[in-house]
Amino acid sequence: MTATDTAARMLDRGVTPERYARGWHCAGLADAFRDGKPHAIETFGAKLVVFQAANGEFGVLDGYCRHMGGDLTQGEVKGDELACPFHDWRWGTDGRCKQIPYARRVPLRARTQRYETVVRNGQLLFWHDPEGSPADHDLLPPELPGVGTDEYTEWFWETVPIKGSHCRELIDNVVDMAHFYYVHFAFPTSFRNVFEGTRATQFMESKGRPDKAADAGGYGDADMVLTSEATYYGPAYMINWLEVDYKGFVTEVVLINCHLPTGPDSFTLQYGITVKKPEGLDDKTAQYIAKKYAEMFGTGFLQDVHIWQNKAPVQNPLLCEEDGPVYQLRRWYEQFYVDVADIAPDMVARFEFEVDTTKANEFWHEEVAENLRRRDAASEADAPLEGAGH
Amino acid sequence: MASFVPTSEETLADQRLYTAGWLTSVSCQDCLAVVGVQKNSAHHTSIQWSAEALAACPEMGRRPRELHAGCPRLQASIEQAVRAGQVPIGAGDGF
Repeated sequence: MTATDTAARMLDRGVTPERYARGWHCAGLADAFRDGKPHAIETFGAKLVVFQAANGEFGVLDGYCRHMGGDLTQGEVKGDELACPFHDWRWGTDGRCKQIPYARRVPLRARTQRYETVVRNGQLLFWHDPEGSPADHDLLPPELPGVGTDEYTEWFWETVPIKGSHCRELIDNVVDMAHFYYVHFAFPTSFRNVFEGTRATQFMESKGRPDKAADAGGYGDADMVLTSEATYYGPAYMINWLEVDYKGFVTEVVLINCHLPTGPDSFTLQYGITVKKPEGLDDKTAQYIAKKYAEMFGTGFLQDVHIWQNKAPVQNPLLCEEDGPVYQLRRWYEQFYVDVADIAPDMVARFEFEVDTTKANEFWHEEVAENLRRRDAASEADAPLEGAGH
Repeated sequence: MASFVPTSEETLADQRLYTAGWLTSVSCQDCLAVVGVQKNSAHHTSIQWSAEALAACPEMGRRPRELHAGCPRLQASIEQAVRAGQVPIGAGDGF
């Protein structure tokens, strides 16, 4: 199997990692866990239990009791502790067994797998590290000023289980300029990436394709111009600041794109939307706009999901000069899968990449113009597309 | 510990090629930073920093610093190097 200039290129599917990434992960909106009941979340090939103690603290523990393996997600919150349904062993948010009602004393070794938590921007985040390091609070995503106050709408939060793909497929989008045209039906007119340390950012300006507005959903609205800055804070949590200009009406949108890896080829995608309430609009209208944008970006994610679920994993993507820095992004992402001691300098070194979108957009505008000509010729009877398709 | 493991040696060669194969060293004209630069076209620029270069750059040493902001003096140095023909434009060998 030697490669020469003329040999057919092999697709290297590689082997997915046996471990899960180190970093902050999001369990969901904190409010969803404030009902005094234990909740199950699937992640890291395991089941975790999330609960809020009477004192307000959140606990994220392994889902199975260390005594005889009872399912803690079916247990009961009793005061500041979570009680196992099997023998009523009581676990604290710190992962320690606090009491065993039928025993004279608790074994000193009674400690379970526990994940440190932080509530940030209304979401419950927890720290995961296969090496067991204490949570690194310097790596938390930033607080979003105004979010959670009356200035912004409440979060619209969606959860989508994905089977058949490693979560790195989602990460690859950070550098994938051209898929915004083909998958999301938008012209990316400006595209830039910066990676440094544990952060990876995509800057993009885009506008919708006029030939796709009717069936596209997502970004494909010719009257919509997006200015987007999207940063991954660690391996699994992205904040996307969006300025959406719709026919001159500008809305500030914050989109959270985060996920929980569930297995070697599955993950749970979560996304949340909050919108800065435009001046002069009542709350109900603002909520309506936020809901519409949540649907729009939801459609966008589903467009990605369809691709992921049918594609092959590729360790050796073949790139052209107009593509984004896939290899550099994956090198950055690799840092979360190796021991801290094994993080290579180039995984975290600053890297800047400005994509030249000129050639691509020239071609794409011609293609879209041709599509419109063909459509007009084919069905003159059809009414023209409505601008406000969604 | 192995992470995403390629099944072929050629993949490792690709990783080296795509991340470093077309980088040309460019020295900043205002400080001691030396970065790797790749130009696929007139409008495209790829800048590979190192920890040493970052430490040498006063612009990057400013706190607080926005992640996305590049260094304008480095940018000017790169443009100068491109004009001087020191940075090839396009991968040449077909990328």
